Order: sequence, then C-alpha cells, then structure tokens
Amino acid sequence: MNAIGRVVATELKPATPHQFHFWTATDTEIGIGAIVKVDVGAQHAAPLPGKIVYGVVTEGFAYSDLATPLHEVIGAEGDPTRDDPPTARQQIRYWTAAVLRQTPEEPLQPVPLGQVYLADDADVAQALRMDAFLYSAAPTAIPVGLYTSAGRDAPVYLDADFLLGPEAAHLNISGVSGLATKTSAVEFLLASIFAHFPAHKGRVAAVCFNVKGPDLCFLDQPGELSDEDRRRYERLRIPAEPFQRVQLYAPYKSDGVNLNTLRTHADLVADVEPLTWGLQEVVDYAEVLLNRDDIDAKADAFIDFLRDRVLGKNFDDGFGTTHRVQTFADLDRLFRSIFDGLEITAGGRSDTWRTHHIATMRKVRNRLLNISTRCKGLVTDDGPASDLPWTAFADRTVYVIDIANVDPLGQDLVFARVVSKLREQLERRALGVDAVIVFVDELNKYAPGDGPETYVKKMLLDISERGRYLGLVLFGAEQFRSQVHRRVVGNAGTQLFGRMDMDELATPGYQVLSPATKSKLATLPIGELMIRHPHFTQPIFVRFPKPPVLRGRDGVERFPPAEDVPFDDAVVRQLVRLDRRVRPNQVKDLIADREPDDVRRALATVRRTRPDDVFAYFRKVLGARVTPDAGMPREHHTVPPLNPISDEPY
Amino acid sequence: MTWWQPLIAAGAVPGSGRKTDEVEKGELADLVEGTELETHAVPDRGVARIPPVVSFLNGIERWNVVAYDGVTPIVNAAVAAAVRRRDGTGVLRTTFERSRAFAIAPLERMSPATRQALEQAAPDIEPVDADLVEQPARYVEMIEATVRRIRARLERELAEAAIDALGPEEWLVSDGLLSRSPAVARHPRAIGVIKSHGAQFLEGRGLERALTLPAGYRTSVFAVRGGHTRTEVYSWYLRLRPWEGNDLLYGLLRIEARAHPDTVARAAELSGWLWAERAPLATPAARWDRLLYPLHHVEEYLKARLAS
Repeated sequence: MNAIGRVVATELKPATPHQFHFWTATDTEIGIGAIVKVDVGAQHAAPLPGKIVYGVVTEGFAYSDLATPLHEVIGAEGDPTRDDPPTARQQIRYWTAAVLRQTPEEPLQPVPLGQVYLADDADVAQALRMDAFLYSAAPTAIPVGLYTSAGRDAPVYLDADFLLGPEAAHLNISGVSGLATKTSAVEFLLASIFAHFPAHKGRVAAVCFNVKGPDLCFLDQPGELSDEDRRRYERLRIPAEPFQRVQLYAPYKSDGVNLNTLRTHADLVADVEPLTWGLQEVVDYAEVLLNRDDIDAKADAFIDFLRDRVLGKNFDDGFGTTHRVQTFADLDRLFRSIFDGLEITAGGRSDTWRTHHIATMRKVRNRLLNISTRCKGLVTDDGPASDLPWTAFADRTVYVIDIANVDPLGQDLVFARVVSKLREQLERRALGVDAVIVFVDELNKYAPGDGPETYVKKMLLDISERGRYLGLVLFGAEQFRSQVHRRVVGNAGTQLFGRMDMDELATPGYQVLSPATKSKLATLPIGELMIRHPHFTQPIFVRFPKPPVLRGRDGVERFPPAEDVPFDDAVVRQLVRLDRRVRPNQVKDLIADREPDDVRRALATVRRTRPDDVFAYFRKVLGARVTPDAGMPREHHTVPPLNPISDEPY
Repeated sequence: MTWWQPLIAAGAVPGSGRKTDEVEKGELADLVEGTELETHAVPDRGVARIPPVVSFLNGIERWNVVAYDGVTPIVNAAVAAAVRRRDGTGVLRTTFERSRAFAIAPLERMSPATRQALEQAAPDIEPVDADLVEQPARYVEMIEATVRRIRARLERELAEAAIDALGPEEWLVSDGLLSRSPAVARHPRAIGVIKSHGAQFLEGRGLERALTLPAGYRTSVFAVRGGHTRTEVYSWYLRLRPWEGNDLLYGLLRIEARAHPDTVARAAELSGWLWAERAPLATPAARWDRLLYPLHHVEEYLKARLAS
C-alpha cells in the first residue's frame, strides 16, 4: 500500500492523542470524512514497537507560499486576465484528522510522525471498532452503508446490541425536508436489519407511522434501482428487494366504508386492513383526548370510575336502569340516564352523582363523545374494533399505520395507544417478537423541545428512556434536531444526519463538528449520511443505496388511488374481499333502505368474526328489515331545563 | 516641501535605497550587437516563447562558529545545491541535488587534544590557513570566502551534470555566473541570471543607458571576458520592474549565455521569456525584485532540506 501523506507537527499545530495533521500531494483523492491510517511500525524495524493510529479527516487547508494577496496583484501587474505564470507556486494540501483509534490503546500518546495511508476494509473495521461485533462468535453487525473514499468503499456496520438494545438503543435522523433522504435511510436500514438481525437475538418487527402522504404506503412494491445501487446492496449483503411481509392499516374515512389512505388502487387495496377502535380501546387513552385545561383530578377520577366500574359490566345507574356500556352509544345512553335522573328523580336539587359533580361528568361526556365525531372512521360510534395483531406480531414484518389524513387528535390517540400496547405486550413477552422498531417521523411536531407536555411527548420520552430494556426501539426523524426534546435525541444511541440546514448547524448541538464537516453536512448529496454510533469515536460519512421499495410518490403514480366508491359498492367490496362468492347485487338489495350505521355495525361484526359464509352471516347480523310505522306516535320525553350549575359551556 | 522635490520637478527621477551591491572587479566589455549600446523593448508575454521544460539551479550556504580552541574559531558549515525541473504543468521537481556538511578549522593551530576530538567527531573537515586566526575580522572573511568557494564548486559540478542530462528542447537556468564552468558556459541552452551588479562592464553613455533601463527593456548584447578562471560569455541587462522611485539596480538582471552569434540572434526571445518569469513574485525574499520565482523556489527547497 502506498503512502498518501505524512504526519507533520509544529509547535503551533502539534499532534495530540486525539488529533493530528498531515500533508498530501495536491492532486490527492482524499477529502473530508476520509479514514486514514498512520502506521509507524511499517517504517521502523524492531525493536521499536509498532503503532497504528486511525483517524478521520475533519478539516482541510490549502495554501501557497504567497505572503500576501497583494503580491499576487503585483505579480499580475493588476491584470487578473493575464496568463498563468510559467511556474506554479508551491502549495500544500494540509489536513486535520481526528483520531478514531490507536493500537495499542495504551499508553495513550500523541500521534507519532509517520507516513499516512488510506484505510482499506480491514482498517475501516479496526478504526471504527467494528471488529468486536463483526468478527465475534455471535456477530451483531448491521450494515448501515458504505464508507467511500478515493475510489474505494468499505462496509460500515452498526452493533445491533447498541442499535436495538439492550446496551443502547434508538436511532435519530435529522435533515432538511426532501434532500436529507430520512425516510429512504430508515427504509434501507429496516431492510438491512431484517436481513442481518442475528438469530440469537430473536425476532424483530417494525411499526411505522405514516404521517405524510403516501410515504410508506408501498413498502411491499419494488422500486427502480440503478446498477450502482445493486452493487452496493451486493457489497452490503442485503437483498435488493422490497419487504416480503408488510401489513398496512388505515382507518376509514368519515363514511365508515372507504379507507382513509392513498393505497386504494384496486390491485392493492385488498392488502389494507381497516383500523377502527371502539369505546373500550379509546377510554384507556382518554388522557390523550383531554387538553391541558381538562386534566384535573376530578375528571381523572370520573374516567377511572367509568373504566373500572362501568365499561363492559352490568351497571345500575341508581335511577332504576341497568346499563352494559360497550360502545359510545351505550355510554351516551348512560350519561343521558344519569342527567335525566338527576333532573327528574332528584328534582334538580342534587348536582352530584356517586360523588362526581355534574359539571365534571358533562365535561368528560363531551370530550369522549366528541372523539367519535372528530375521528370518525378511526373511532366507531358503536362498532367493534379492528386492530393490530397484538399477540401475533410476525418476525421481520413491517406494520404500517397510515394516519396521514387523520385528525391530529386522532393521530395522537393512535400513536399513544399503539405504543402503549407495544410496550405492554413486550413487557409480557406476548407480542410475538422480541424487538419492535417504532418509526416516527416529524419529531419536531410530536416531541418538541418546548411547548406543552403532551401525552405523546411523554410516551416518546418513556420509549427513549426505558424502551431498550423491553426491545421497544424508537427510530425518530425530524428536520431540526435542536428543536426536539433533548432527552429524546440524547437517548438515541445512533444518530444519522442527512443534508442539514446551515442555521441548524449553527446551533450549539453541532459545536463539536469542524467547519469543514459542517460544510459537508450542508451540501451532503442524496444518499449520503453522517453517522454517530457508540462504537465510533468520531462521526463517519457513509453512502447507502436507494431503498428497494417503491417511493410514495412513485407508488401513487403507478397505483393511482381509487375514487371513493358509493356506500353500497364499498360494502360489497369489503364483503367480497372476505368471501369471493358474495354476489354484489344480493348485498345491494339487502342493504337498500337500511340505516348506514346498522350496515357498518354488521360489516364490522362480519369482519371481526370472519365466518365461512360471509353473506349469510352478514344478513343474520344485519337482522330483518323493520318498516317504521308512521301511524304510531313516538314516545317523546320532554327534557326539563338544566340545573343552573350547567351555565358552564359543556 | 523637502529640498529634493524641486530637483524632481526640474527633471530628476525619484529614487530610494541605500546599500548597493559589493564592488567586484569587472573588465570593460565589447559590444557584439550593434555599434552602440542601445535599449530594446522585450517581446510581451503573448509573443515570448517559454521553453516547455526548464531546469533551474541554485545553491545555498550556511556557516557559524560553534566552538573556540583558545582564540581559534571552529566553524560548522553546510552547502547545498539542487536542480529542479519544471515541466508543462509549471510544477518543479528535483532532478539533481547535492549537499555537503563540514567543519572548517585551522588544524595546525589547534591543540592536540581538541584537534583529535575534532578529527574523531567530524567526518568532513575543510582545513584552512591559520595565518589569519589572530585577526578575527579577516579570519571571518576568509571563512566566508571558503564556504562560498565550496558552494560555487558544488553548483558548478551540478550544472555540468545537469547540462549532460538536458533534453533537446530543455534549458538550464542557473542562479549566478554561467562563466564559472567552461562546459556550461558553452552550452547552447544554458543561461546564467545575475542579480548582483558589483562588477561593471560598461562605461559612459552605455552604462547610463544600462542603469536607467525602463522595465521591459534590455540592452544590446556585449561580450564579458572570462579572465583566467572564466570562460567568455555574451551578456546583456534586462529590467524586470521599474526602477523609478527605487534604486538604479532595482529589478535589474544581467543575463549570461554562450558566446555565440546565435545568442545575439536570440537575445530578444530569451529576454521575452525571462520577462515572463517575473511572476509569480519571489516574495518574501529580500531581493524579490530581481529574483526569479523558480530560483527562489529551489532556494527554499534547499533551506527546507538542510533544516530537516
């Protein structure tokens, strides 16, 4: 191997144990981020002990022997258009490198003067301390990209014990929108994890929240790859193919039958599972739905009361009616009964029920019932739930939850419930996998450094701080790392940086980076990342191939979303999906003139039950048609005026 | 107003400077171009033909007293010379290099013990005459002359080696007299560039024209006789930078080339080439006004090598 430079040390710029300087030929191929090796032993014969120092180039300088720019002006006689002088000025390419590793590690001494070489594959593994987990008896190496410099490349690996726990965990990726390839990087890394997650560490799955357009809707469809991308996949030993097992969940739109996702093309929509929750699923996360002003001990107490004493149980309201509350509709009936009871039975003299004040009850009622309106399609008024397989997560499967078009409150609810369930199941070792990666984009929105302490932020902090013991791993992405909660980014063992905004780089969090490294970050091309990982003592730049999946916007072009279909067609489509023998006309005849809520309820029951004869079961659940008798007067209860205490706006 | 401003107003040229080059012996020259020494404008860079490959030779010397044996100074000295070749890229690379580190001492004047120690410790000793030991100022001058002579010999040897290796289109530019070596002085593609003008070869109107040459002009070619150690060469003056406001020697070079009619024929072309070599500036060298950058570069190279 030929030397490319020599270490130089002066009194003003000495070599230290953590930094050294070297010069190279002016036409050198190395640049910022290059990994180099100083091999002193190669030059000295025994008995001088050999010492190898690995470093990464963090700064570069070029200058000539020109004493002052004025001399250049004088030499050119003030004419910048003059031909170049016949002799090129003596100039230097002078580099600063940060030490990655010294061998032997003790005694730790300043970097000796010596020749500098480019690092090869083995050197890169040594320099980044990857040898410990790459060549061990039970390797835990996960390829994250290729270190490239001077026309050569070398795979760079992350340690699964530090990426997915238990030693450290979590990954955070920052970068400007559109150019930092945050989503692509995560997709590639998931493919890498699924290909290389060591067998002795068990089973792994990923849950991705799709919060923007069609970003993650086509992970099971192949994307176009260049020959260079394929070469990189081969070099990293990762199959260049889309995810084999993807399960996409999306809530319904407000009509309750058309899915609220951009993956509605006829060829693909059959793979989308509806995500609908009922009262039971929602009430446990009622805190998510209450804003800061609502959170008080009284409301909490009443919600606890409902959760513990009322939901799913036969409950006597004290006014002569027994309720079994399982749906929002049941809950509404209970509230009406209580309020009526207080007004009528107690003659309006009492404003408490079971120690709970009527104002508190009205507030909780309004908040809970409001969610079924705001998140219609996700939260069903009185239908059963369609949910993730909480006890049967499959190995190396990506679960995509598409909440891109869901009301922000609903997004919070989905996030809080899914993460809580994941944690709960992982604690019980009942999820079906040993580790789950949760990918959350837009951490600037969900875990901002300032702003209110929301339930979602608390959840993210909880994962960040305790998730690694459980195998619950957060892969978070954001545009401005400096504006994400410090404990969320601080607990991420691995940090990736795509192209960064200069203003962001000027914030204190990036002070440890050299100006040249910052410049490189600000101009980083698509497909290149800077990595910080516990084993790497300095940030390392790597390139990764385009993910082997269809990008969201390409997916929408190749598989244009279908138009919303009429209610009866949507019902037919869902039943046919469950049983191809179902005849559309039969279904349409059956549901004609029926209340849509009844149909939705019946459909949800069929979907949950999955009977052998879908149509027959649907007809049975829907029940016989009842023609309203217009001649019979309907009982009408006059609601007396509310107690004066109800001046409050609930 | 100063007293000399009226002089300038009356036609005198503004000047500055104090110390001038040390006086050397010089014989009056015979003009070989024209009948009277004249000034000629040199071709501009666009017209001048710069040889694609040129080798530049320069040398350095260093010495200092490191010990005394009684009143006898013992000197540590070093000389070095190098030829660096410039190719079409404008980059200089070393082709020849030689150096000598040695001690200078009047051995017969030294005490036996000190002499023995010196002879055992110093691998290379240049003995000198002990006559001047008791006259320190003259002894130092003698030491300086000795070192300069050794350096000149080194440069001559290197120049002779370099011209043997010159390619058909390649030139050798030497810092200093070309006439020290007969072989070099007769080579068709070797020129010497002299910055010191202690020796005068002209007189009268010719001398005045030479010393007041405008920038970008050369004088007619004249023949410089060699004396007993030198070979006859042709020579002419070339002004690289305006002297007005400085001293008469500012930016002034004397060029030496072989004594041959072809030199006269090519004086304009060679002057155009050397005129183009005035950039880059050879700063921060003290005499940057008349030092060609490639020669400065060789000097810096040797300094760095001698230091390392």
